[in-house]
Amino acid sequence: MIEPIVVVSNIIDGLLMGLLYSLVALGLSLIFGLMDIINFAHGDFVMIGAYLAWILAMNFMVDPSVTALITVPLFFVIGLAVYKAVIEPILGAEPLIQIAVTVGLGFVLQNIALAIFHAEPRSYPAPALNFGINVGPITLTAAKLVAAAVSLASLLLIHYMLTRTKFGLAIRATSANRMVAPLMGINVGKVYAVVFGLGIALTALGAALYMSWGQVNPYLGASFSLLSWVIVAMGGLGGVVGVLASGLIVGVLEALGSTFITPSARMAVVYLAFFLLLWFRPRGLFARR
Amino acid sequence: MCASMLELKGIHAGYGEFRVLHDVNMHVDKGEIVALIGPNGAGKTTTLRTALGMTTLYEGKVFFKGEDITKVPTHKRVEKGIAMVPEGRGIFTPLTVYENLLAGAYTKRAEEKLQDSLEFVFTLFPRLKERKNQIAGTLSGGEAQMLAIARALMSRPELLLLDEPSLGLAPKIVLEVFDVIKRLREEGVTILIVEQHVKNSLETADRAYVMETGRIVLEGEARSLLKDERLKKAYLVI
Repeated sequence: MIEPIVVVSNIIDGLLMGLLYSLVALGLSLIFGLMDIINFAHGDFVMIGAYLAWILAMNFMVDPSVTALITVPLFFVIGLAVYKAVIEPILGAEPLIQIAVTVGLGFVLQNIALAIFHAEPRSYPAPALNFGINVGPITLTAAKLVAAAVSLASLLLIHYMLTRTKFGLAIRATSANRMVAPLMGINVGKVYAVVFGLGIALTALGAALYMSWGQVNPYLGASFSLLSWVIVAMGGLGGVVGVLASGLIVGVLEALGSTFITPSARMAVVYLAFFLLLWFRPRGLFARR
Repeated sequence: MCASMLELKGIHAGYGEFRVLHDVNMHVDKGEIVALIGPNGAGKTTTLRTALGMTTLYEGKVFFKGEDITKVPTHKRVEKGIAMVPEGRGIFTPLTVYENLLAGAYTKRAEEKLQDSLEFVFTLFPRLKERKNQIAGTLSGGEAQMLAIARALMSRPELLLLDEPSLGLAPKIVLEVFDVIKRLREEGVTILIVEQHVKNSLETADRAYVMETGRIVLEGEARSLLKDERLKKAYLVI
């Protein structure tokens, strides 16, 4: 017997998680939309960001979400460096080479984490935000509410940046036609570097928010990568709004699948729904016919 | 003062290992309209792209207003005052007409004159004003070409490079394009144009260069080239 209240609370939980997933997936979507590179290491940056948030939280005895103030700018700079060292040389290369390089980057990050932290999961022992808030019969985790609110605010901010600012126009123009963009006076190399930095910075933000209740192990990246790919494939062409919509769908499916089937099948549920969607809309939710 | 707007000296250029241009020398003086004609694959587009630093340069130098810009990246050449309407227009199809024009005024120098430039291109192409908020991908071929020219003008160029601006357009629209080119000269814009409509472009231009297999084979006053027997034979279109 499925109780309606359990369904509702799962849907709400899924929507909250969906906002966080959207935030992480947006970075992947921006990078892919702009430079046609699928960053297979994207989720592994979330994993490294989560460890970093954990270390800082443990050292300064603050909630991991607060460490975003340090990890986000730091990851932006790391993103710039990774772009210069790893991504720039493979722009326009054979897809197979690009895949080998970013998959390899993911493994390097994973092995670094394994070597330093070993396989056991880590979490912040005294999270300030990991308490329940009762809304009627439903209990919500405060940390997830904060994560969802910050994610939503960040998504809206990036949407504003893309549609209303000069740099956003440069990003959209370059996405539309990278051969012609320099003829406008746009420094395409700079746009690429900054957007890659931004995409990586978003993984650090997602990671810090997640660590307020979650735990990290060296394989955390895989689940964030998988979820991000589905979200981008489903809604990537729809810009921030598309990523947001498909992130919410994925979040809800994951929550329902985890509760009503089994937690270990949550990815299978998400992917089955994704395959089904592709039957009806092979180019994603937001493709123009 | 140097009257030369653009000068290509001993240019050997191409794409990676693929060499296209062999010792190309040409110049465009201030206020001129110069046409670059020749068969497909002669290297006309490559010549324009080389002027903007979008090719692999093996040898030679590019000067803009007497300054050596050989090593200057494309986006900075645009800042200096060179603009190009690329082959196939290259408009940003998912963006609106207005956003395309804004993108054209991306450089600091152009941004300061944004309102002025908008007014100018909207008088030149009233249709674009009507379709300001339309997605550029929904424009007709002629409108898209107008947008590509307008977008290039938004950067306030002193030198405008036009690559086959009449390609794929109806004859009536082709004439409109040439009218705009003449009008731009009156506004003080120097123009280098690559064209397949040899007759139209020779009638509009002051001087012309004829290219074949990556070399300049003929040059001179546009009017005298119009009467040149070799050219008449090569291009029955005349």
